[in-house]
Amino acid sequence: MTRTTPWRNFDFLLLGAIVLASAFGTAMIRSAIAENEVLLPLINRQIYFALLGLVVIFLFAAIDYRYWLSIYLFLYFGIMMFLISLSSLGQVAFGAQRWFQVGVLFLQPTEFAKIVVILILAKYFEATQYQPRDLKWVLKGFIWTFGLMVWILLQPNLSNVVVIMVIFGAMLWINGLQIKHIFLFGGIGAVALALVVSLTVAGIRIPFLQEYQQQRIANFVLPDPNATFGAVYNVQQALIAIGSGGYFGQGYGHGSQTQLRFLKVRHTDFIFSATAEEFGLLGGVLIILVLALVVWRCIRAAQKARDLSGSMIAFGVAVLIFFQGAVNIGVNLNIVPVSGLPLPFISYGGSGLTSLMLGIGLVESVAMRHKQMEF
Amino acid sequence: MRQQYAWRSKLLAGALAFFALMIVSQMFRIQMSVEAAEFRVQAKSYSSETKTFYPDRGEIYDRNGSLLAGNQIVFEVGVNLNMHKDINVIASTVSTVLGLDYNQLLYDITNPPVPNLSYLVLADFVDEPKAKRLMEIRQKMDEQAPDGVAGALNALEFKSHPMRSYPEESLGSNILGFVNREGRGYFGVEEKYNDILAGNPVRVTIPTDPNQAINIPRIPDGSTLILTIDRDLQAAAEQTLDDALALYGAQNGIIMIIDPRNGETLAVAASKRMDLNKFWDYGVVYENASDFNPAISKPYEPGSVIKILTMAAALDSQTAVRSTRYLDTGAILVGGVEIRNWDNNAWGDQDMTGCLQHSLNVCMAWLSTQMGPETFYGYMNNFGLGHLTAVDMAGEAAGRLKVPGDADWYPVDLGTNAFGQGVAVTPIQLLTATSAVANHGRMVTPHVLYAMVRDGRQYNAPAQYAGTPIRAETADTLSDMLAYSLELESSNALVPGYRVAGKTGTAQIPVDGYYDETQTNASFIGWGPVDDPRFMIYVWLERPSASIWGSQTAAPVFSEMAKQTVVIMDIPPDRIRLSLASK
Repeated sequence: MTRTTPWRNFDFLLLGAIVLASAFGTAMIRSAIAENEVLLPLINRQIYFALLGLVVIFLFAAIDYRYWLSIYLFLYFGIMMFLISLSSLGQVAFGAQRWFQVGVLFLQPTEFAKIVVILILAKYFEATQYQPRDLKWVLKGFIWTFGLMVWILLQPNLSNVVVIMVIFGAMLWINGLQIKHIFLFGGIGAVALALVVSLTVAGIRIPFLQEYQQQRIANFVLPDPNATFGAVYNVQQALIAIGSGGYFGQGYGHGSQTQLRFLKVRHTDFIFSATAEEFGLLGGVLIILVLALVVWRCIRAAQKARDLSGSMIAFGVAVLIFFQGAVNIGVNLNIVPVSGLPLPFISYGGSGLTSLMLGIGLVESVAMRHKQMEF
Repeated sequence: MRQQYAWRSKLLAGALAFFALMIVSQMFRIQMSVEAAEFRVQAKSYSSETKTFYPDRGEIYDRNGSLLAGNQIVFEVGVNLNMHKDINVIASTVSTVLGLDYNQLLYDITNPPVPNLSYLVLADFVDEPKAKRLMEIRQKMDEQAPDGVAGALNALEFKSHPMRSYPEESLGSNILGFVNREGRGYFGVEEKYNDILAGNPVRVTIPTDPNQAINIPRIPDGSTLILTIDRDLQAAAEQTLDDALALYGAQNGIIMIIDPRNGETLAVAASKRMDLNKFWDYGVVYENASDFNPAISKPYEPGSVIKILTMAAALDSQTAVRSTRYLDTGAILVGGVEIRNWDNNAWGDQDMTGCLQHSLNVCMAWLSTQMGPETFYGYMNNFGLGHLTAVDMAGEAAGRLKVPGDADWYPVDLGTNAFGQGVAVTPIQLLTATSAVANHGRMVTPHVLYAMVRDGRQYNAPAQYAGTPIRAETADTLSDMLAYSLELESSNALVPGYRVAGKTGTAQIPVDGYYDETQTNASFIGWGPVDDPRFMIYVWLERPSASIWGSQTAAPVFSEMAKQTVVIMDIPPDRIRLSLASK
C-alpha cells in the first residue's frame, strides 16, 4: 500500500457514536453490577476491552479492507479451527472451554466468526455479482456460510446461528434474491423446523443432534409454559424495571430493580431494562438513537463504497448491529422470545465489544476508501 | 450495488425503520399502560423490608460463676427434593456422619410426608463440627464432579440457628427448665424469667437500596441471670439422692437445700432429671408436668414433719410451754374419730420435747384441739400452707389446707392435720414455713435469683420475708427442743461437730381413700447450726422399700447431705466457731 491513507474521510461521527455508546455501557455496567463482589472486576475489564477496541478501529481503518478479502481462505479455515475446538467434537478432542484464554483476556471465537462470515460473504457476492441469481448461486453462498455456522449450531448457540442466517438472508436480498426462491427456502425451513419440533415432541432422537440441542430447538419454537419460569421471571422483572423508570428514571445507581438484583443478567442481556429504569424513557430512547446513528453511518458507508465487497462489508456490519440490538431490546420489551444476544456496545462482553469494534474498523476502512468523487 | 436492486435496499431500510418504531412505541406503551402504575408500586414495595432482630438469650450462672445455660449455633440439615439428587449417597453420608439409620433416611427421602414437598428436614440441632464435616464432603463431591454436573450431595442444605446449650446437661435440670425450638422457656428459671432472658426483639424497617444504608440498631442481649444455686452443692445433692434411692429402694425423691436466713435456694435435687440439651426427650422422661420439679409442684401429705408447725403454734399461742406434760393414753377422740399413735402404743407421761421426740400423734391432736380450729388454722395459714410461696421457678403448686367452713372439712381434720394427714403441701412450702422456726420467727420467701446482669450492670435480688408467724422466743425454744430431741434419741440425723435441729416424717400414702400401711413418704426436715442456721435441708423419699420409716431412711440421708454441705459451704464446726466468737 503505497497510497496515502485518506484520514479526512474517516467517519468521526460513527467513531463518536461508538465511543459514546461504549462509555455509557461501561457506566451502566458499573451501576448494574450493584456492588456484587464477584462481578466488580468486570468494570475494568470492559474498559480495557473498549480501549483495545478503539485501537482495533484505527488499526483496521488504516488497513485496506481488500487485504482481508485476499486472505479470505486463511481467515475462513482459521476461525473454523477455533470453532471446531469449541464444539462438542472439539471438547472431546481437546477438552476445550467456551472461550480461549489469551493472556488475561478470554476470547469467544463465535463473536469473531460473525465478522468473518461478513467478510466471506462480501467476497462471495462480489465474485458472483455477474452470475445469474439461480439456486446454485444461493446454495454456494449457503455452503460457505454453513461451513462456519454448523460449529456454532453444535455448541449449541442458536441465537448466533440466527444472527448469521439473518446476515446471509439480508445480503441475498440486497443482491437480488429471486422472490420465488424466498418462498422456496421459507417453505423448506418451516418444514425442517416443524419436523425437528414434532420429532422432539414425539420423543424421537434425531441423529447428529444431542438430546438437549434437539430440546432447545423445540423449546425455541414451542416454549413449554411450565418450564419457562426462569425466562418469564426475567422478562417480568425487566418490565417492572422499564415501567417503574418513568420518563426520566429513578436516577443513576438508584433503580430498585437493578440495585436489588431482582433483575438477573442485568449487566448483559437486561442492561437495557436497567438503563430504562435508572434513566427512564429518555435513556432508553437515547440508546436506540445512538444505535440507529451507528447503523445509519454503516449503511451510508455501504452506499458510498467503491466496490460491492466494501459495500457488503459495511452492510453486513449494519445488519449485525441492528439485528443484535433489536433482538436484545425486543427481549427486554417482551416482543421477542428470550435469547442471549447482548446489546451492541452497551452490554458487558469483551469479545462481543472487540469484534463489533473490529467490524466498525472495517466499515471505517470502507468509508475512507469510498468512490473518488473529489479531485 | 446494482441500480436495479435499489428498491430492495429501500424496502429493507423500511423494514428496519418499522422495527425500530415498534420498539419505541412498545416502550411508550409500557410507560403509559395501566400496568405502569402497578410496576411503580411493585418496584417501591421492594425498596424496603421489615426485619425483626432477636437478641441473644441471656446466660444463666450459678452463684459462683459456673455457666449453667448458654447459647450455641446448631444446624438444620435438609434435602432439596426438587434438585437432582443421588439418594443413596445422601442417605449413606448423612447416616454415617450424624449416626442416623440409613434405611430410615432412605425411606424418608423417597417417601416424603407430603406429596410435592420441596424441602425435607433430615436432622435438626446438629452441632457445628458435624455440620461442617457434611459441608466439607458436599464441597469435595462438587469439586470432583465433572464440569457442569452438580455433586452428589448438592441437594443437601444447611440452615444455622441458635440453640440453648446446657454445659452441665442434666445437672439442676429441674431448676433451670429448657428452651424450645421457638426460643420460649419452659419450666423453672427459663420459663419464670423468659421475658428477661429473651430480651426485647427490635423491629426495623431497612431500605434494601445499598445507597440508603442505615445503621442497624444495636440489639441489647437478654439479661444474664446469676442464681443462688451452688453448682457443687447441687451436684452433691443429686449424687446423695441417687445413692439414697438405690440404698433404700425408693421410687422418687427430693433433696432441697435453702439458706433459712434469706431464702436463697442452694440446691434442689430431684430424682428424675433430663439432659436439657435434648429437650425433645421431655415427654419420654416425664409423665406429668409436676414431675419436672416435684419440690415445688407436687403437693403431698407430709406426715410428722408438720408437727414442728403444730408445736410452734401451740407454744406461740401459749397453749403449752416446753415443760407442759401430757399423759399419752395411746388414743384420743377428735370429732368422733379415734386417733392413735404410729405404733398404736400408749407412751404415758411426756413433756412437749418427748411428744416431738417420739412423734406422738395423740399428743399433737390434743394440742390442736386445745388450741381450737381458729387458732390452729390461723397459724397454719400464717405459715403459708395452702398458699404459693412465690418462689421464682415456674410451675409452683399451692397445695391444699382445708379449713372449717370448707365443704370437705370435718372436725376430725383438726386432729389429723396436726400430725400431717389430710393436708397437702409441697416441700418448698414446708421449708418456707419451717424457716420461721430456724430464723428466729421470721419466715423467708424462697428464691433462686441471686442477681441479674444487664448492660454490664449487676442488679442484686434482695432477700424477701413472708411475715413473722411466730415470736422469736417461740422459734428459739422450739429449735432447741428439736435439737435436743434428736440428741436424746441418738438420731440417725445427727451431724458430728454441728448441732442440728429437725424432725422426721413418715406419712402413709393414701391409696383409693385409705392409708396403705406399707407405702410411705419418708421425709426429714432439719437445719443447722442451730444457734446460727446456715442451711436447711429437706429430704423426701417416696415409697422406700428398705424401711418405711423416715427415721431410718430420710434421717440418715439428711445427715449425709448436711456433712457434705458444711464442707462445700465452708461452715466451721460449732466448737471452733463458738470459741472464735467468744474471744
